[in-house]
This record gives sequence, structure tokens and C-alpha cells, in this order.
Amino acid sequence: MALPTQVEPSFLHRLAKHAPDSGNWTAIREQSLKELNASPFPHKKIEEWRFIDLKPFSKIEFTSLDDAGTLPATDIEKFFLPESDRSRLVFINGRYNEKFSSIGGLGNGVTVGNLNSFTDNSVVEKYLNKLVDYENDVFVPYNGLMFEDGAFIHLEKEAKAEAPIQILNIYTDSKKAFVATPRMLVVAEEDSDVTIIEDHIGLSGNEYLTIPVCEVKTKQRAHIHHVRIQRDSLNALHVSRPIAYVEKNSEYHSYTINLGAKLARNEPKVIQEDEEVDFTLDGLVLIDGEQIADTHSTFDHRFSHADSHQLHKVVVNGKAHSIFNGKIFVRRDAQKIDSFQENRNLLLSRDGLVNTKPQLEIFADDVLCSHGATIGQLDPEEVFYLQSRGMTEEKAKEVLTYAFALETIENMKVESVHKLLIEEVYRYTKANSVAKITA
Amino acid sequence: MLEIKDLHVVVEEDGTEILKGVNLKVNKGEIHAIMGPNGSGKSTLAKIAAGHPEYEVTKGDILYNGESILEMDPDERAHAGIFLAFQYPVEVPGVTNTTLLRESYNTIANSRGREELDPLEFDDYIKDKLELVQMNPDFLERSVNAGFSGGEKKRNEIFQMAVLQPKLSLLDETDSGLDIDALKIVANGINQLHGEDDAVVLITHYQRLLNYIEPDFVHVMIGGKIVKSGDKTLAYKLEEQGYDWLEAHAKVNGEAV
Repeated sequence: MALPTQVEPSFLHRLAKHAPDSGNWTAIREQSLKELNASPFPHKKIEEWRFIDLKPFSKIEFTSLDDAGTLPATDIEKFFLPESDRSRLVFINGRYNEKFSSIGGLGNGVTVGNLNSFTDNSVVEKYLNKLVDYENDVFVPYNGLMFEDGAFIHLEKEAKAEAPIQILNIYTDSKKAFVATPRMLVVAEEDSDVTIIEDHIGLSGNEYLTIPVCEVKTKQRAHIHHVRIQRDSLNALHVSRPIAYVEKNSEYHSYTINLGAKLARNEPKVIQEDEEVDFTLDGLVLIDGEQIADTHSTFDHRFSHADSHQLHKVVVNGKAHSIFNGKIFVRRDAQKIDSFQENRNLLLSRDGLVNTKPQLEIFADDVLCSHGATIGQLDPEEVFYLQSRGMTEEKAKEVLTYAFALETIENMKVESVHKLLIEEVYRYTKANSVAKITA
Repeated sequence: MLEIKDLHVVVEEDGTEILKGVNLKVNKGEIHAIMGPNGSGKSTLAKIAAGHPEYEVTKGDILYNGESILEMDPDERAHAGIFLAFQYPVEVPGVTNTTLLRESYNTIANSRGREELDPLEFDDYIKDKLELVQMNPDFLERSVNAGFSGGEKKRNEIFQMAVLQPKLSLLDETDSGLDIDALKIVANGINQLHGEDDAVVLITHYQRLLNYIEPDFVHVMIGGKIVKSGDKTLAYKLEEQGYDWLEAHAKVNGEAV
């Protein structure tokens, strides 16, 4: 394989030879290979990767999924959402698993399935790999090159999904570290409505890299509620690329909950395609130990009359490191934009680290863009107040941390997800961290 | 019940001395009022008795029921029956009043060997207490003090006092920021809660609270010391004459003011 001389081959470039050479999606693979070979693996001299410690990438010896000796997924039923018992797609290490999946309970006009069952579908043909847009990126092309299958969700005009759709990504144990490349395509036609719960779960402490790529198209007056829960193994690396396009009068609301992974880099993008849209990119990050969680988000306001909302809350304990870079673009003719961005960081330990960078680039003059970033510890006055009401110092800190985190999960529409996240927050504040808090 | 002996207190961070030898004895069944100008150390006295970590005792002692409480954490003091109504009640977004109160009530009940209440029993229990301070039940499901007006926050403190039933209540400027109607409600609440087995220490700038709550003793604090003690007539005198005559007195005694 000929590489342009300026690109230093990384483990991803080296693994390219394991790309599937038959089956569907050859066009995507060919294009991806070109892009992969033209793109360098990120390093610290690139502004966008300046704050992140890339060592975890070089320390692990990755092999292809086929050579990794993956073990079967067991006892995964506990991750099935009760609301989605007939609207669930399961992927094991990025590969579709028909046995655990269950579809058919979604009513007329809603198509859910694995992409390989829709190779001739005109919607797939029109949008797959066409929406994704990350410059000089090595991860999306790698996903495209390795692409075998993925999740497909399509809502016809006026279709309403009767139940939330769960896209369950399970990562198993294996003898060697591997790279998984999950893929999603969501197309919501005019006036449709769907709730999607995308879940990434590492079954134990296995080492792997997952590169989920998700393309979303929200057509006129369509509504999408998209929850993304990242519960990867604490030795895993997670690089995700979710991109959503919003058309006139549509709504796209996304909530990303970052709990797992040794290193997680999330780059959500929302791109406005017409006037009168409403979109959300909220996030909650709870990290401890030596975890790194990096969110580089982009809101691209290209037309007038948009409401955008981003509340990104982070709790850092131990030696964990959080990075937030929130880009808000408002193009020249995009007037009457109401954009809210807030990044609030709660630092529980002395050795935790937070980098935050709101990045607003506004070229229109009649817009309302509020933004804020705070980094703080628990307020001793609040701790004392609760103690004076009888709570131990530990309990008081636990309650305050819990309360801090809770705000971001209030908007969960699916009850079991809301409950699950409350439990996760509770687990983090209680068992995982509070005993070690040294405020 | 409470005995403060030659108490010297500094701000932990910079060592500034706030209390310079305070002596005070409070018996059960009594109401004491501590008055004094701004910066005299009144609030510090209340906070240090409740165990505020910002301050450090350098000399003297605080005895509660005959035993020193200096080594006790704030929550242990609360369990023992000490309650501080804050001058500036803290906002705790995300924690509802009910959650806080039930947690507090049960922790304290537990440590005193009383029965804990389950959520339903607790709801019944607090209904009466709400009426005492004329608060709307909606208020229970709101986050603690978040977005409350100044008056609501102060009423909430007295509501908490009603629920937790402390033995020693330290009320730090509970009257400030209240209009006359709210003041009457709060004062009435305190009067109803006070009985033979508990004691109340009111910290206040103004005599007007004492029109509604009759203290057994009035103390004047200036420059980190109690410079004058008397009965309620002392409060009237302060209202008429201010603190000047006492400040002069304090200086005569060679103390910095």
C-alpha cells in the first residue's frame, strides 16, 4: 500500500490491510482508504489535540478484530431496555448480532435494521457516508474502510416510532486488543419522531478502541431525541464522530453521558440546514482515576432563527482529565440566533485537571449567544450547611455532587434510561469516589 | 445547657482574632438575645458553636450539657441537638427540601435512638410544621433555598428548626430581611417551638424582634467580647441610645474595639 510520504503510518494505517476485501460497500471502502492514507494520526502539535494525552494510543498493541480472539458476549440481557424489547439492535464488538436483536415493534413507516439488509435502499445509498464530514481525520476513514455493517433507522414522513430504539454496542473480552468500528445512519423524514438510545458497554476491563460513526438527518419538522451512553471498559479508547443535520422547523436533541473508557474523544457536530431549528448537545462526564474525557463539539448556525443549547457538566476525581472545546459558529446571514453554552466543571480532587475552551465565532450581528465556563470545587459553605443539618461530611459531599450532576439527565424521556443514569450518578458519587474526596 | 468559657477564636485562613474571650451561660428553658454592632463577632459565635470549619478556637472552651464539643464535627453537634439558623441560608440546587429534611430528620432521630420515619409518615409529620411558618406545601418539592426570596429562606430555616426539634437553637439574624408580617410569622413560630426543655439564642441587630419574642437575657457584644448583660430592658436602652456608651465603656477597659 503506497502512503504519501508526509503521513507517518500509525497502527490504524498498518491495520488497513485487514480491511474486508469482498462483500458490500466497496465504494465506501475505496474512498475511505484514500482518505485514511492522506490523513496523519493526530499528535500534540495539532491545535485540536493539544490538550490530550495520546500516550494511551501508543501503549496498546492493537490487532484486527478477526485476530483478536474475542470471547462470546454473555449475560447481556441485563442491558436491554424494557421499553425497547421489540426495537433493539445489538452489535458485538461492532458486528451485528441478530440473535440478541429484536425488531418489529415500531409501527408503520419505521424501518430499523442492520445496514447490510438494506444495500439497495435508496435512502442508504443517498446518505450513508455522505453526511459525515471531519477534516483531516483518520478515524472516520478507518471506520469506513473496515465497514461491514451497522445500524439503520429510517422514519417515513409522519411516522412516529412507538417505542424508543436501543442501539446496544457490547464490547467483549479478547486475547488481544482490537479496533471496533460501529456505524449508525438515522434518517427522519418530514414530521417524523423518534427516540434513540445508543449505548456502548464494555463487559469487563478489556483493551479495545472503538470508533463509532453516526450520521443523522433530521428533515423538516422531524424530532429526534438521541441519548448516547458511553460505559466502555476502563481500559478502552473511544473516539466517536456523531454528526447531525437539521432542516427547517426540526428538532435534534442529543445527550451524551460519558462514564467509561480510559480515553474518550467525542466530536459531536450539529449543522443547521435551514431556518427555525432547535437543537441540543448536552453532556455529562463523570470520570475518576486516570480517565481522560475530551469533548470537541461544533454548532454550525448557517441560517437565521435557531435555538441551540449546550450544557456540558463534568465531575473530575482522582487524576482524571477533562477537556472541553465548544465551537459555536454563527455565519454572516444567520441572524436571530439564540445560542446557549455552558461548561461547568466540578473538581473533587487535587490532582484532577480540566481544560475548557468555549470558542465562539460569530459573523452575524443580531444574535444572542451566551456562554460560560466554570471550574470549581464543592462550596465549603454548602458542605457546612448540610453538615449542620446532620449529614456527615462525606454524605454532604455526596449529595452535592449528585445534585450537580443530576441537572443534565433531567430531560431523559425514557424512564428506564433516566433511572439507569440516576443509578450511575449515584454509583459514581458514592462507591467510586466520595471516600477518596480530599477537598 | 451551653457554657462558653473565655472563648478566643481566629479565622483559620489568616489568623485574624474575632472572639477575644467570650463568656456565656445558657440554661434550658431560656431565651438569650445577643446584640451588637456589625463586626462585633455575634455571627462568629453562632457559627463556631455549630462547628463552622472556617474558624479555630485558640483558647477557652464550649461546653454543651457539661461536655466540651470543640472536637465534634458539625453533624455530630446537630445530632446532639444543636441547630444553627443561618444568616445567609445556602442554596442547594438539585436537592429538594423534603429530601434534605427527611435525611436530616432520620439521621438525627437515629443518633438519638428515635424511630426513623418512612416517606409517608414523614409527609404527615411535616404537614403541621409547614403551617407553623405558613408555608405552601409546593415548597417541599423545590430545591433547598434555590430561587427563594430572602424572607422565604429565613422562614425555611425556622421550618427546619420545627422539623428537627433541636435542644439548642442558635438563630443568626433570622429577623433581618423580613417584612413585618413575615417577622411576626417567624417570631410566632419560634415562640411555639420554644419550651422548658430547650434553649434559644437569638442574634440580632434590632430590638424589633424582641417585641415579639421576649428574651430572658440580653447581651451586648462589642469587639469580640460580651461587654454588658442584662434583662430585656437593656434592649430598649440600646434602641434609644445605640452602642456608643458601651463602646466607650469597652475602651475604658483597655480593649481594642
